[in-house]
Formats: sequence, structure tokens, C-alpha cells
Amino acid sequence: MIKVENLTQIYKSGKGIFDLNFTIKESEVFGYLGPNGSGKTTTIRNLLGFSNATRGRATINGKDCRSEAASLQNYIGYLPGEIAFFDNMSGMQFLKFMGDMRKTKDNSIRDSLIERLDLDTEGKIKKMSKGMKQKLGIITAFMHDPAVYILDEPTSGLDPFMQNIFIKMIEEEKSRGKTIMMSSHIFEEVQRTCDRAGIIKEGRIVAVEEIKALNAMKKESYIITLKDSKDISKLSNHSFDVKTLSENRVEITIGDSYKEFFQVLSSCSVINLDVNQQTLEDIFMKYYGKDGISHE
Amino acid sequence: MNKTLFKATLRANWLIGLFITLMLIMYTSIAITMFDPESADMVEGMLKMIPKGMIKAFGFSNLGTELTGYISSYLYGFIYIIFPVIYSVIVANKLIAKHVDSGSMAYLLTTPNSRIKIAITQAIYLASSIAIIFIINIVIGIILSESMFSGLLKIDKYLSLNLITYLVILAVSSIGFFFSCLFNETKYSLAFGGGVPLIFLVIKMLSELNTDLEWMRYMTLYSFINIDKILESSGYVILSSSIILVISLIFYILGIIIFNRKSLSI
Repeated sequence: MIKVENLTQIYKSGKGIFDLNFTIKESEVFGYLGPNGSGKTTTIRNLLGFSNATRGRATINGKDCRSEAASLQNYIGYLPGEIAFFDNMSGMQFLKFMGDMRKTKDNSIRDSLIERLDLDTEGKIKKMSKGMKQKLGIITAFMHDPAVYILDEPTSGLDPFMQNIFIKMIEEEKSRGKTIMMSSHIFEEVQRTCDRAGIIKEGRIVAVEEIKALNAMKKESYIITLKDSKDISKLSNHSFDVKTLSENRVEITIGDSYKEFFQVLSSCSVINLDVNQQTLEDIFMKYYGKDGISHE
Repeated sequence: MNKTLFKATLRANWLIGLFITLMLIMYTSIAITMFDPESADMVEGMLKMIPKGMIKAFGFSNLGTELTGYISSYLYGFIYIIFPVIYSVIVANKLIAKHVDSGSMAYLLTTPNSRIKIAITQAIYLASSIAIIFIINIVIGIILSESMFSGLLKIDKYLSLNLITYLVILAVSSIGFFFSCLFNETKYSLAFGGGVPLIFLVIKMLSELNTDLEWMRYMTLYSFINIDKILESSGYVILSSSIILVISLIFYILGIIIFNRKSLSI
């Protein structure tokens, strides 16, 4: 459905994206992960036909994203990372404007989305909060029932309740056979919704993985405070990775040996147990190295 | 041409259009009502009190006793240039560059409308809105003149004068539009789109101020509004209209082509 071939765009600063290659299959949810400034938005700009690639190309449904941009827009629902609307319009005026520009006749999806996301569309966009603008952006991306969604950091600015609604919407669209690409710098978001994820770092794709495989890589570590420092040696005798933080605090990283972990833990006198979530950054550092070389 | 976009553009820009139209109506009304064929001497007496250079620089050199000539030099030497130019510069910048700079262009381009269609719609808005400003003022000018000084206004000359002035403003707007398409940031679009017409104005004033600098009049678009020649010869009107129209078309088309081809960071 979406095909990126040797896509390269180099900015004057020397930054950009370099020889990207990946394919997103029909009715697949593809997460596009990377830290800020890694090239996620640049890739998306090329998929929407905004940018001229230095080399390579991107196609959607076999159509060139740049030269056939206008005809592709009928199938694409796009949510920009940095949203700028027509500030002088009200929310509803803008949605009607976009509907007219797309010549959408059926407004039922739009109206049900407004209700679902609980957005007041009467106020001027200029006066809207970040979260409200994000909702308006989501409605604009979904209201014409596109076949392909390209969403740049879709949950930014949404409260946890709305994030859940959004994730449900993604799941529903997925079950309806839609192809979805969403960029994110939050691992959990991608983990919950996507089938596969591409990881980009400093403009290069460092891995394209099934989410299951990424999950296995993402090891959680626990910070345990013990009553008796002798227990540290007890923990160290097992297969997991133990790092001593202080006299009675240790950080333990476990793969999938939870059973063993709890067995040992039950024999220790634990005062406190904290989950130390690994950030995406940690995963990069650990599995792809500083230079972004694939672990394969 | 996309009607929906045209309407949205109108909604975002009508206020400044109205303001400029009202300013011109005010000056036109004042100029025409102030005309007095009986007291031409008084006008001349007044002019003697103002330094000659200044009168020339602002194009008030021919405040004669003949209504058409009087309106021409009173209004079309400066007033009918500066206000429409301000309008063109501001609106041209808003039509493309501002949408690109703010990122709202992303929404226009995620509708099934090509860049060319969007740019053409915006160009048509600019050209037609300037035309409407002129048409309103032409109608008011004719009505006022006819009701106060029936038969004195040479309507054909008055229309020629407005045609050329409109086309000169159209050319200025085409330059503004070109820079609006060329630059991704409004600061550059405004600096060049506003800077070039401003330099033209300075050149015009310098060339009229000092006879040694008269050669400079070939370096500014405003010299096409040559009142004496417009009132004299219809050959001049046809020739110069064609030249300015071609200049305008070139810059509009160049702008549209550049906008279609360039890489947008939105």
C-alpha cells in the first residue's frame, strides 16, 4: 500500500533522511518511532507530496506521492504534527470548509466524531486549547473515511481519557481494513496499537520489527529497596541482570524470567519496589548502539 | 479555480479590501467636490505656496481647470498608487506565503486540489479584488462628477487612466504574488514583495523631483501612469496596457510554476 524506496532528502544543514526503505501492507498498522528530530516528519512530508525528495521515491497504491499528490488525497487522512488551521474560522466552519474542499457529501462521520471526541466546534480556532486543536485535527483526518491514515504524533496534547478513545478509533479502523501509519516518540502508544514498527534515528531506519519482537527487546527493570543488604547477594545469584545502586537498593532487569524473579523476591524482605520503564532512548542505546547499527 | 477556497480567502481578506476601498472613496470624493472650475486661480495661488519639488514629487503638477486632468494629477500621481499597492503587498503575502509559513497550506494540499489549482485560485482572488476596488471607485467617480459637474468629465479618458493604473497595480501584485510563492517564510515574502514596490515609488519620486534623475523613470513601473500621454493618445494606452499586462502575467505564471515545483516544509 505504502512503499518507500531509497527515499532521501537532505536539508542544507546536512540533516534529513537517508535511503529509507520500507513497505506498509494493506490493512496494517505501522508505527514510526524515533526521537524528536530524527526525520519522522520529513518522511511524512514526502508521503503527502509536500517535499521534493533528493533521491528515491514514495508511492501509495502505486501512485507517486509527489507528482500525483492531488489525486491521492481522496484516500488519505492526514494529521499534521504541528497543526495550523485557518485561525479566523470556527471549528465547524473549518470542518465544513474541508468537507467542501474534498467534496464530501456525507457528514455523518464528521458529526459522530464531534460527539465522540466531545469537541465544542462553535468557538474560534484561535481561542482553542492544544487539546481541542488536536481533536479538530483528528476529526479532519477521519471524517472523509479515508483508506490510508498518516498520523504524525496523533495523541500529543490529548488527555489519557481521549488517548484511549483515540486508540479505540485506531483499532476500529484497523478492523475495517484501513492502512495506518502513525509516528510517535512514545513507545507505549505504538505498542498498544501497531502491528509493526519502523525505528528511525538520525535520518536512517535502524530497524523494522514486528511489535512482538520489539516487546521482547523492551525489558522492564525494577528498582528494589531491601531491608537487609545481604539479600543483594541472594538476588545476584540468579539469571537476571543486577545493578547495585546503593547499599540496599538494586536495579534488576529481567527478560521473561518473571517466575524466577518472584520466587527469589518472596524470600527477600522488600521495603519498596518501583517499576523503571525503559524509554525508547534506552532501547536505542541498548539494541542499536550509538551509531544506529542494527542489532542483526 | 476552486470556489470554496475563493470564498474562504474572501472571508479572511475582505476587511482590508473594504478599508482600502473606503480610503480611496474618501480621497476621490474630496478631490471631486473640491474642484471648482471658477476658481482655478485660487488653486494656482495655493500651489505657489508649496515648494515646487514637493508638488512634482507627489504628482500634483497639473492641478488645472479641466476636471479630467485635475482628477488625474490630484489622485493618480500618488493616492491611487500607494493605497492599492499597500493592499496588494499585504494580501499577496497572505495568499500563499502566510499559509506555507504557518503550516495551514498543509490542509489545503491534503484536499484533492492540485497546487496549481490552489495557486490559480489565490491569484484570481488578488487580481479580481483589486479590479473590484477600482470598479467601485470608477463608478463613484463618474456619479460624483456627473452630478456635480455634468458633462465635464471625459469618461473615456477617465476609464483609460483607471485601466492603466489598475494594470500597473496588477503588475505590482504579480511581483508580490511571485515572492509569496517563492519564499517559505513571510518575512522574506513581505520584504521583497513590499520592498520592490517601495523602491519603485522612491525612484518615481526622485525622477520627478530632479531633472538630472529623469532617466530613472524608466526603472519604475509607475511611470506607465503617464497622465499627459494617457489623456492625449489612445495609442499610448493600448501599447502600455499590453506591456504591463504581459509583465503581470509573466510574474503570476512564474509564481504558480515555482509554487507547484518547490519543496514545502509544512
